[in-house]
Amino acid sequence: MAVKTFAAIDVGSYELSMKIFEVSRNKGMKEIDHIRHEIDMGTESYTTGKLSYERVEELCRILCEFKDIMKAYQTDDYVAYGTSAVRESENTAILLNQIEIRTGIHIEVLSNSEQRFLDYKSIAFQGEGFDKIIENGTAIVDIGGGSIQISLFDKDTLVSTQNMKLGVLRLQERLNHLDASVGRYDTLIDELVDSQMMVYKKLYLKDREIKNIIVVDDYISAMLRKKSINQEMKGYAGKELFDRFEKEYHTKGLLELAKRWDMPEENMPRTYISLVMLKRIMETMGAELIWAPGVTLCDGIAYEYAEKNKIITSSHDFEQDIIACAQNISKRYRGSKKRSETLEQIALTIFDSTRKIHGLGKRERLLLQLSTILHDCGKYISMATLGECSYSIIMATEIIGLSHREREIVANVVKYNHLEFEYYEEMGRYSTLDQDSYLIIAKLTAILRLSNGLDRSHKQKFKNVKTSLKDDKLIITVDTNEDITLEKGLFGARAAFFQEVYNVRPVIRQKRMIGG
Amino acid sequence: MDNLKYADPGFYTNRELSWVLFDKRVLSEAQDKQNPLFERLKFLSISASNLDEFFMVRVASLKDMVNAGYEKPDIAGMTPKEQLKELNIVTHELVSQQYAVYNRALLPQLLQNGLKVIEKHEDLTEKEAAYVDKFYEENVYPVLTPMAVDSSRPFPLIRNKSLNIGALVKKKGGEGELEFATVQVPSVLPRIVQVPVEAGEEKAVILLEEIIERNIQKLFLNYDIVCSYPFRIMRNADFSIEEDEAEDLLKEIERQLKKRQWGQAIRLEVEEGIDKRLLNIIKEELSIGDEDIYRIGGPLDLTFLMKMYGLPGFEHLKEKGYAAPQQVPELPGDCDIFEQIRKGDILLHHPYETFTPVVDFIRQAARDKDVLAIKQTLYRVSGNSPIIAALAQAAENGKQVSVLVELKARFDEENNIVWAKMLEKAGCHVIYGLVGLKTHSKITLVVRREEDGIRRYVHLGTGNYNDATAKLYTDVGLLTCSPSIGEDATAVFNMLSGYSEPLSWNKLSLAPLWLKDRFLHLINREKKNAMAGREGHIIAKVNSLCDKNIIEALYEAAAEGVKIELIVRGICCLKTGLPGIGNNITVRSIVGNFLEHCRIFYFANDGKPEYYCASADWMPRNLERRVEIMFPVEKPELREKLMHILTMQLKDTVKAHILMPDGSYEKVDRRGKGIINAQLEFCNEAVHAAKTGGEVINHRVFIPEMHHD
Repeated sequence: MAVKTFAAIDVGSYELSMKIFEVSRNKGMKEIDHIRHEIDMGTESYTTGKLSYERVEELCRILCEFKDIMKAYQTDDYVAYGTSAVRESENTAILLNQIEIRTGIHIEVLSNSEQRFLDYKSIAFQGEGFDKIIENGTAIVDIGGGSIQISLFDKDTLVSTQNMKLGVLRLQERLNHLDASVGRYDTLIDELVDSQMMVYKKLYLKDREIKNIIVVDDYISAMLRKKSINQEMKGYAGKELFDRFEKEYHTKGLLELAKRWDMPEENMPRTYISLVMLKRIMETMGAELIWAPGVTLCDGIAYEYAEKNKIITSSHDFEQDIIACAQNISKRYRGSKKRSETLEQIALTIFDSTRKIHGLGKRERLLLQLSTILHDCGKYISMATLGECSYSIIMATEIIGLSHREREIVANVVKYNHLEFEYYEEMGRYSTLDQDSYLIIAKLTAILRLSNGLDRSHKQKFKNVKTSLKDDKLIITVDTNEDITLEKGLFGARAAFFQEVYNVRPVIRQKRMIGG
Repeated sequence: MDNLKYADPGFYTNRELSWVLFDKRVLSEAQDKQNPLFERLKFLSISASNLDEFFMVRVASLKDMVNAGYEKPDIAGMTPKEQLKELNIVTHELVSQQYAVYNRALLPQLLQNGLKVIEKHEDLTEKEAAYVDKFYEENVYPVLTPMAVDSSRPFPLIRNKSLNIGALVKKKGGEGELEFATVQVPSVLPRIVQVPVEAGEEKAVILLEEIIERNIQKLFLNYDIVCSYPFRIMRNADFSIEEDEAEDLLKEIERQLKKRQWGQAIRLEVEEGIDKRLLNIIKEELSIGDEDIYRIGGPLDLTFLMKMYGLPGFEHLKEKGYAAPQQVPELPGDCDIFEQIRKGDILLHHPYETFTPVVDFIRQAARDKDVLAIKQTLYRVSGNSPIIAALAQAAENGKQVSVLVELKARFDEENNIVWAKMLEKAGCHVIYGLVGLKTHSKITLVVRREEDGIRRYVHLGTGNYNDATAKLYTDVGLLTCSPSIGEDATAVFNMLSGYSEPLSWNKLSLAPLWLKDRFLHLINREKKNAMAGREGHIIAKVNSLCDKNIIEALYEAAAEGVKIELIVRGICCLKTGLPGIGNNITVRSIVGNFLEHCRIFYFANDGKPEYYCASADWMPRNLERRVEIMFPVEKPELREKLMHILTMQLKDTVKAHILMPDGSYEKVDRRGKGIINAQLEFCNEAVHAAKTGGEVINHRVFIPEMHHD
């Protein structure tokens, strides 16, 4: 059948939800059911590091019900992701195994950047509304239970993303802990948010003009979907709406408030906290318009699935977002753009011509590209320990859209570009990387090193390089009139590692340009 | 402030008093000479059983309030004590009217039509007497349990609602001290005993208690019977507090639980002319006040008339004008219901149109290989319900079947538990109601996997999924596969299964969370239109209207010039003819052959009219303490059908009563209006539509029928 039924499950910090979709090439994605169960896992996970017995019971019970529902819809496939509450529990592996054995549902844990990327994807798939809003300076504020994520757009490309531990559940927890009266909540939230937002503004926002905010969350979005500017502009609102809510929150009872805003009474405090925080962020940025596309992680999961299975495609180039992010990081650490470009060109040329021997795909090509962009970011801290510093910077910087594993691969490739390569038996001692990742690191490192060697003088002499694979040799043809004695001389050491990895010997051939 | 204007309790009628007026309208059908004689018996019986239920539920509850010292005034500003006082007057009046109808109108008519009711056993002829005595010996005596009271035997427990014969007895050869004795008229035997007659004579019947009275001496052989009279009591025992009552009352009563007098007698019916000494004994033992004693000029407990209705041989005295439920033109027998629904929404009007398609909807779903799931809410179902059977079959066929069974449905609990268990055994997922809420909504969802994806079929109704009452109650139902209603229906069942509310609704409005606000919004929108000089018009048909916020909104809208036409069968706390409103609000009540039950709402909305149907009345319990659903009807033809139902009822001149400014109800002044009986018209139209396949004939060319069947 052309129509596939797919279930997306989000094991969130305060909600367990499942969406059932019909996915088809003709009609795209159609949501047919959305089941939500409130379950506060975040509070336990953030404070004690573990989920209690009762919580796990509840989780399993609901997941079993979800399974029945999936069965009833004759679902073809499903993906279940756990987010921060699962991620931050200390015994994640045990927990997930337990759940899988009891419910048959396999849950994978999303890293923060993967999770945000899925949210982002689901926004981008909104099409027109999205394309239009990002024409002006736009920030995505993704409010989760444990943290928030602010991502900035420049024109239509995502350029930076930052995570702050200001999740709504975490804030609520902190406010409860402070035992403050409700009347003081807004000042306290302002203070908590400000301390981080000021730093953010100074370092990342600078003088970017942000007009619009796209908000992804469970509370403000619910409110905005109901109380929009008007029917045509569903999900859009200005600051006035927030002011009104804030005022009513201080003067009316929760029950009445819930009625007036048509939201569950128990959601009011978190709505309020999210709203005060978002208002603060708006003020810091000077934004005027808010848009809540009303997407959830489940949508993102489904888009990812549909994209992976080539059922639908988006007009937005997500890979370009990832590259732009990396370029921005490089810029922040004063990386040389020119050199990166040369390196990128050489490395990708080699990658493309050696497909047969490395067997890597499109995604690994992207990782290589990122490695070239970020190859020298560590020198901002120390030129002597360039490798280690680069590694640390990459590991500590979020690149939206990359999984934790992918980021680690990039960091390692950059590191071993400068340092002596450590074999798996050695590397594995300090890392949780699996063998597959290790092999990718080795292969990409070999290419990057070789490319680096070709541009040793940093003078971009090897700009026009051609490579071809002939028997056991990789012929690198350089089209330059310049003297490449240095490169040729130092080439040997670099080539040795390449040869070790691929069992192919790189050879340089200089082709002098006529009349040059 | 302006909007406080109509908040005054003086502008509202007490709901209990309004209810008594409703029962009087039922009684007036028994009085109506236009009705066939046996139908009149039925109406009298209904008015009597209605009153019994009213005592057990409403009066009992008021008594509880008084006992608990609860003094909060009602919508009309009356304290429970004041309400009881007023009720006492009007219920006494109602009862004497019932017996006036029975004695003066019905008995002579029955005799004229060949049925003699032998009122007193003393009136039996010798031959008849011999027959009843033999009947007594053989059938009655073995099941009687006479009980005497003396110093060693305490006063026996008189069962709630049972009919008893009390007697004063004196020991034979004793010193003349009077003792109390009593015997229950067995409920296992029919109340009406037919007495054989000579050929050519009219049929004759006598009531069981008369036969017992005649033979009571045989029960107390060692005593002389001084006198004997029937009596009947009603207690406020074993009734939980109604959902109608405010929460603070529940708390109050809980707190004062010890003070509550369980099993307290709240009403005593005795035969007129009962011996004073006998009455005093009963009164004292039951500690019942004079105001709660009803002296009855005729047989106690008139519900036996329903049995009399069933006596064979009087078919010519019953209603025959109303046709049986007809086939729905869009849904001919054996059709593929899903296919028909895909052609467009279908509105069903019961009992004029048959309920069978609704049963078939579930039956076909149970068998259909493409159906994935069936979900349904059940409130009251008939015994041996075909719907239950179909659901069970569906589960056995591997469909996912979820059923919400409301166990709190009044008087039906035990019945419901039995088949709920049965469904569970068949593999259905059964939800036994929601904590603190009655699920009164009527909704069925069938999820079907079709070529281009999942399609949802939904039935929404105003009446229960009960094939038996669907022949007697007027209701409407909608069959649709509209995606937006389907989405909402899925969300409804998710909520009923305990999951969070959906992020938003497309079409449906649900109580207790959203419905009331929705109604208020719709009413206020008419008000705003009227204030801006545009037409404001509301037509609403409900069973009861007693929600203060709704009434106040209606008053305010009417005061701004909105024309409000209300068709309210039962309780109506709204008054007509108020200052500043005048004739802008009219209220009529239709009490006819079928029990009016559908709730239909029309809002003019400045030229973009909106039509809704709902499971809810305009009562606080519906809007605040129940799960109810209101659904829009959007297809133009179906809107026309609804508008037709409303206008015909507004034009009714036979069964309609108009609420007058003084609070009384009067039959419509027929002058210049012709005779229109809406229910009868609907019947005839349904017959016609079934024959012509739904086409209205307004052409001048005759179409000869080519087949005779």
